[in-house]
Amino acid sequence: MTVYLIATLTLVALAALAGLALNLQWGMGGLVNFGLFGFYMLGAYIAGLLTVQGLPPLVALGVAMLGVAALSAVSALISVRLSEDYLAIVTLGFAECLRLVISYEGWLTRGMLGVSGIERPFQAWWPRGWGDTGFLLLALLAVLIVYTVLQALARSPFGRLVRATRDDPGVVEALGKSVLAVRVRVFAIGGAILGLAGSLHAFYYSYIDPTQFGPIITAYAFMAVVVGGRGSNRGVVASAFTLIFLLEGSRFLIDLVPGLGASELAAIRLFLVGVGLVVLLIFKPDGFGREPRSALADKTSSRF
Amino acid sequence: MGQLLVNGIVAGLLLALPALALSLTFSVLRFANYAVGSYLSCGAYLVYIGNVVLGMPLWLAAGAGAALFALIAVGIDWLAYRPLRNRGGVTLLVASMGVAIALENVIRFFAGNSPRAYNVPVARPMRFGDIRLNHEQLTILVTVIAALAVVWIIFRFTRLGRMMRAVADNPDLAAVRGISRSRVVAYVWLIAGMLITLSGVLVGLDANVEPQMGWTYLLPVFTAAILGGISNPMAAVAGALTLGLAEEFATLVMPVHYRMIVTFLVMVALLLVRPWGLFGTRWVTK
Repeated sequence: MTVYLIATLTLVALAALAGLALNLQWGMGGLVNFGLFGFYMLGAYIAGLLTVQGLPPLVALGVAMLGVAALSAVSALISVRLSEDYLAIVTLGFAECLRLVISYEGWLTRGMLGVSGIERPFQAWWPRGWGDTGFLLLALLAVLIVYTVLQALARSPFGRLVRATRDDPGVVEALGKSVLAVRVRVFAIGGAILGLAGSLHAFYYSYIDPTQFGPIITAYAFMAVVVGGRGSNRGVVASAFTLIFLLEGSRFLIDLVPGLGASELAAIRLFLVGVGLVVLLIFKPDGFGREPRSALADKTSSRF
Repeated sequence: MGQLLVNGIVAGLLLALPALALSLTFSVLRFANYAVGSYLSCGAYLVYIGNVVLGMPLWLAAGAGAALFALIAVGIDWLAYRPLRNRGGVTLLVASMGVAIALENVIRFFAGNSPRAYNVPVARPMRFGDIRLNHEQLTILVTVIAALAVVWIIFRFTRLGRMMRAVADNPDLAAVRGISRSRVVAYVWLIAGMLITLSGVLVGLDANVEPQMGWTYLLPVFTAAILGGISNPMAAVAGALTLGLAEEFATLVMPVHYRMIVTFLVMVALLLVRPWGLFGTRWVTK
């Protein structure tokens, strides 16, 4: 049971990181990233391949974060001048192409065989049998750092600027700020977090192949942000926790409902994720969390 | 060379119907329906039930399936999209992702992941000189052109077509003139549902019927619609043909499994140079 709990909590940490990244990009910035899983996969592959080449895991992780941030910025540059629909489809296209390249360019990525034997950072530190716990602590530390940085960012002038570009880009332009620059930076920071999440994924499983990454990772992240409340980092972490425990817990339903195979159960779970997304958007569009407001906004809103 | 041209035109026609449907719904509803790929798989599976499980001939199953899925498309709009109508394009976009996941997993639940094929007689391809044309390709050619002609006639010459164009052009003005937006929206979903089901059948004939089939068509369909200028339905057809030809001719220099990368490059080049589409007018002002 403890083993299971540790494994599930590690998944929570991975989902929380992806959710936090999307919360910055979509929740705060209004930029729809449907290709989230592609950036996550890229992070996993950069970290995995470099580690297997003999680079220290932490260096590989840093390179993965920078690499994904750079590519995120490029993909945002292509489309952020247009409306959001285009950004969604460009990021999705990017992710799909990336998956194709990784699947077929075997000389670089080992194709469908996958990359195995990826070493975790600080593995030698933990006593025998405590490796997973140690890794969990590392992942939770990563979540904590990202959360702190994002909270600080949300309260900073830059955070206000990001929310302003989401709510009314026209006003931001009129005030002499470059909407394009803000959006590219938001996408790059989000990309760095996704690179981190992907690297931790690669370290955790120590084996990656293209089939592990699919649009469902994107769907979970969107679910986390919608449930947690767009813009609320605390809400997103809490909802990632709830979501993963619900999804993992539903595996036990197999024993309770006779005649239900693993693939049927997976289909039901994902069906509920899809339906849940729509239902929440209709009935609880602001989610259960609350976006941090500036003191000024609180003052003006309390008057009404 | 001639063979590539024929294959390219057929590939383009295969994209034409869903691209037309996507752009039709976009022009009236102002949101990009990300679930169009799942709609395609769903339609294909409904027809599969009629054709293989119930033993109907394919044309009858396709007709019944198209009618049924058209109603389902209207139903999905009622349940999922209508309550969000005033919430802006991004919310609807995310909602359509939810719809896509839900639909795809309904299919997986009932039909599993294994690929299936329609019950049609196998026939030898026809030859015209150097060029081979198999029966599936001929079916695609005839069906798509017929469907396009019907949609064009509706769009151009009927009262419904005028109403659709009016709502697409200016919903408020159309409402003032007594055109019920929700009725036009329902008709648009009916037409889109039928077109997408037909294309699902054609894709299933061309390849296999499997849960992933719509997903692989999602990016090309969006690219084709953007090529045409996304809010201009008939130009989406031209966009689809252009993309089909581009994909086919790119196989001369790139491996076949990188088709989607060709599509992506076409989209990126287009968005950088002419974001309002090859044939569209300049409406993107952002």
